[in-house]
Amino acid sequence: MVDWTTAQDWLAWSFSPSISAILLTLFLSLALPLSIHAYLYRQRASSVTPSFLLLGPTGAGKTSLQTLFERGNATPTHTSQSPATVTCALPRDVTAASSKYRSTNDPSAKTERKLHLIDTPGHGKLRHHAFSALTAPALSGLIFVVDSAALSSANGLTEAATYLHDLLLALQKRHTSAKTSKGPKTLNVLVAANKQDLFTALPAQLVRKNLEREITKVRDTRAKGLLDSGVGGDEDEEEREWLGEGGEGAFEFRQMEECGVEVQVVGGNVRAEGDEAPHVQNWWAWVAENM
Amino acid sequence: MLDQFEILTTSGVVLWSKTYVPVNANVVNSLINDVFIEERIQAGTKTGEDAHAARNTPFKKDKYTLKWSTAKDVGLIFVAVYQSILHLSWVDNLLDVVRALFIKEFGKDLRKSTTTTKVDYSGFNQTFDALVAKLDKSSGEAIARQSEPESTSTGELTPPSSSAGTEDGLDQPPLPPVPGFKKAPQKPLYNDTASTDATPIATPDTSRPNSPAVNHLLTAKTGPGGKGSRRARKAQLTSSAPVSSGDESPARNTRSQAKKVATKAKRRWDIDGTAIEGDEDSTLDYSSHDIRDGGDAEASQIEDIRAEDMGSRTAKGAFVLKDLDDEVDAILAESKAKQTGGASIEPAKSSGIVGSGFGAVSGYFRNIVGGKTLTKEDLVKPLKAMEDHLVEKNVAREAAVRLCESAERDLIGLKTSNFTSIDTTLRASMSRALTHMLTPTSSLDLLRSIQRTTTDPSSPRPYTISIVGVNGVGKSTSLGKLAFFLLQNNLRVLVCAADTFRSGAVEQLRVHVRNLSELARRENRGTIELYEKGYGKDAAVLARDAVAFARTRDAATGKLNFDVVLVDTAGRRHNDTRLMSSLTKFGQLVQPDKIFMVGEALVGSDSVAQARNFSAQFVDAAGKGRGLDGFVISKCDTVGDMVGTLVSMVHATGIPIVFLGVGQHYADLRGLNVGWAVDKLMK
Repeated sequence: MVDWTTAQDWLAWSFSPSISAILLTLFLSLALPLSIHAYLYRQRASSVTPSFLLLGPTGAGKTSLQTLFERGNATPTHTSQSPATVTCALPRDVTAASSKYRSTNDPSAKTERKLHLIDTPGHGKLRHHAFSALTAPALSGLIFVVDSAALSSANGLTEAATYLHDLLLALQKRHTSAKTSKGPKTLNVLVAANKQDLFTALPAQLVRKNLEREITKVRDTRAKGLLDSGVGGDEDEEEREWLGEGGEGAFEFRQMEECGVEVQVVGGNVRAEGDEAPHVQNWWAWVAENM
Repeated sequence: MLDQFEILTTSGVVLWSKTYVPVNANVVNSLINDVFIEERIQAGTKTGEDAHAARNTPFKKDKYTLKWSTAKDVGLIFVAVYQSILHLSWVDNLLDVVRALFIKEFGKDLRKSTTTTKVDYSGFNQTFDALVAKLDKSSGEAIARQSEPESTSTGELTPPSSSAGTEDGLDQPPLPPVPGFKKAPQKPLYNDTASTDATPIATPDTSRPNSPAVNHLLTAKTGPGGKGSRRARKAQLTSSAPVSSGDESPARNTRSQAKKVATKAKRRWDIDGTAIEGDEDSTLDYSSHDIRDGGDAEASQIEDIRAEDMGSRTAKGAFVLKDLDDEVDAILAESKAKQTGGASIEPAKSSGIVGSGFGAVSGYFRNIVGGKTLTKEDLVKPLKAMEDHLVEKNVAREAAVRLCESAERDLIGLKTSNFTSIDTTLRASMSRALTHMLTPTSSLDLLRSIQRTTTDPSSPRPYTISIVGVNGVGKSTSLGKLAFFLLQNNLRVLVCAADTFRSGAVEQLRVHVRNLSELARRENRGTIELYEKGYGKDAAVLARDAVAFARTRDAATGKLNFDVVLVDTAGRRHNDTRLMSSLTKFGQLVQPDKIFMVGEALVGSDSVAQARNFSAQFVDAAGKGRGLDGFVISKCDTVGDMVGTLVSMVHATGIPIVFLGVGQHYADLRGLNVGWAVDKLMK
């Protein structure tokens, strides 16, 4: 009851043309937008670092590529057993797509653009690491590293194609099973045809063609293969998904664009003989494009 | 001598390595594949903590032996590679000491920087070289000491604990020298060097001048040997350490290392051969060392003062051997105590009733809320419960124990996340272990490999699959299902009745083939035929003939008559050596593309022995051969959740499961879904 009167008094005062009330109102009207701006600006500043996932069959050069991107030179590596995340900086001569419209005199262009690189083991038993990492936050792209020299052998090709098939199928499922009509963020895939310095390496075009052909075959045999034990009866049979356009005809990477996945095959080499520098500029360019 | 020493992370990056002789990277890769990923070779470690390196079974590849040690908490693996013909017993000690020292020096960086591998480890070179010099020598000395008790009282640089080499005295290199000859030369020379040596490293040698008369006497007999010169060399190595900057040290160290090897070889020659050669050699050595040492002593004194107030790494390098000695001894003693004493020594943790009571309450609370750091004691009970649970699911005890160990290794030192109990964490870890075990290494796409073989551009041939197993597990039935599956894919199948032993076996197959060909005719897909020669014939020869028959080509089109040959074999008890040995001949004659073993889901812990024995038959005495390619587990519909046989069989051999039989009909054949199996086992 007492409160009511004091509240009324305050209200009366705030609407009264006294100089103190005017000053307070003025102060509030000026300070509020400023503080909101400051708050929002802070929020914006803590933007997440984009991350890229390194996948591919074992021995393709994923860990080497990771160390090369991080340190500028590839170190000797062995078969990975666990995933690892490192922070790399975009080289100076490569401009990230997100800062395409920045002026060259923009001071923020001088700062290094950071990105996370997640290396996953390529061994058959350990690929679940890679698939669980597909849900990582701020994932901007996938780099599927293949050994271009190993692709000329039937076994190497099948292994790489099977893995890539599973990966693309997972991406497609991610798109089709999305709850919102907007769909999940697009994730582009770079097929990095590594070891181009080797004599027996296939050129990027041929890598693309061979992988597409082999994925078609893998898809066909999967379609004809047995159901696995997890499928409980016949009601699930319709649920099985096939890569590409309903699993018909030859598979092409182009078909993946339908579900927001653009696949590019780019050649390069992490290791180099003698004085030659490793050739990874095109991969950096792709990374920058997808940041 | 060592060929290579590497320190690598579990993510595959080589942090630091020292190469004496280049070794192909495949050698270490196969260690990682076989031991760490596929766990084909059982790690000797019984606990989650990093055991003494000697407990880890050495891994042999080509002509190399690899010894390794792990540091789980920082995710490091230490690997030493050397040629198998050498017996380097000190490598175990080296691994232990390097692990302790490396973690001590860089552990902070390793734990802190999770998102970078950019740490400079080159400073470890000096420490390592000094270590090798010390340990290599100490193992050699241990032998000398063993045969000559007198010298133990001299308080040598080598501590008693580092004589661990004596334990495996059998592994020691058969050093030729007669002890009396060997020991004599080292002393006088050592005394000399110690006197000229003004560096602080000389301090451990205070008790050196003992029984000079004997020394002089013996000096007259034989020339100064390699032992002394090596010791001097070591002193030189360390005293020169502060002078050299970090950049040039690796090269320099390797050079001196190489020299050291040379002198070591010479020492042996020296004692075995003529004395004159050795004399000349070591005198040269001695003089050059003397000159250098004098210069270095001065330099190091100046350097010491400067380095001290700088507190840089070179300062560390200057005292590296002095510090190292005590440290190395401590580490070795500890690891030895651990080795002998086992895990029995447990320090009393909490003091007083209040402390323990509070600890118990908070521990209980944490168990519910989470955020508890797991220790071995916490896990004992849940692990026992988990092991029993697995055994109830028909997993062989052996496999259950192994799975629990791997879960324990995974969990010790881990902090449970919020609002998760130990049990939940353990279940998650066990699911991971099961998934890891059951997931095949390579893709098991049978159709793809058939397609590739039959359409091979250079030499197309029919694909041969043979089926083996114990009596009555359902070999013929599984073969019938497999044939139906292949027929559905429009392949032409030849069934070979190589069971020429059991009455009715051929007739049984004939019925299957008749039914299947009727089905195939109706659906107009594929063809199936039976190849049989009655009873009493040799199965291997019969199967070979069947494959040859399948290779014949159609006269009109020039195409193969058959795509796939399915060979049924007689069932045999896995512990009947006579019957089992005929499988070896079978494997060699028929050379199947795939050998599947049928096991029934009903069988209990015997499955481990079955899988092992059958797998062993296709590997010859030299360890060459193909082994089995996969398992078909039949009668899965009869066991419900108790699918533990899957785990037991994979545990025993590391061979993947290809098919499951889930019913009585031809179509009741399934591939294995790992998630499904793990769900059933953990239910």
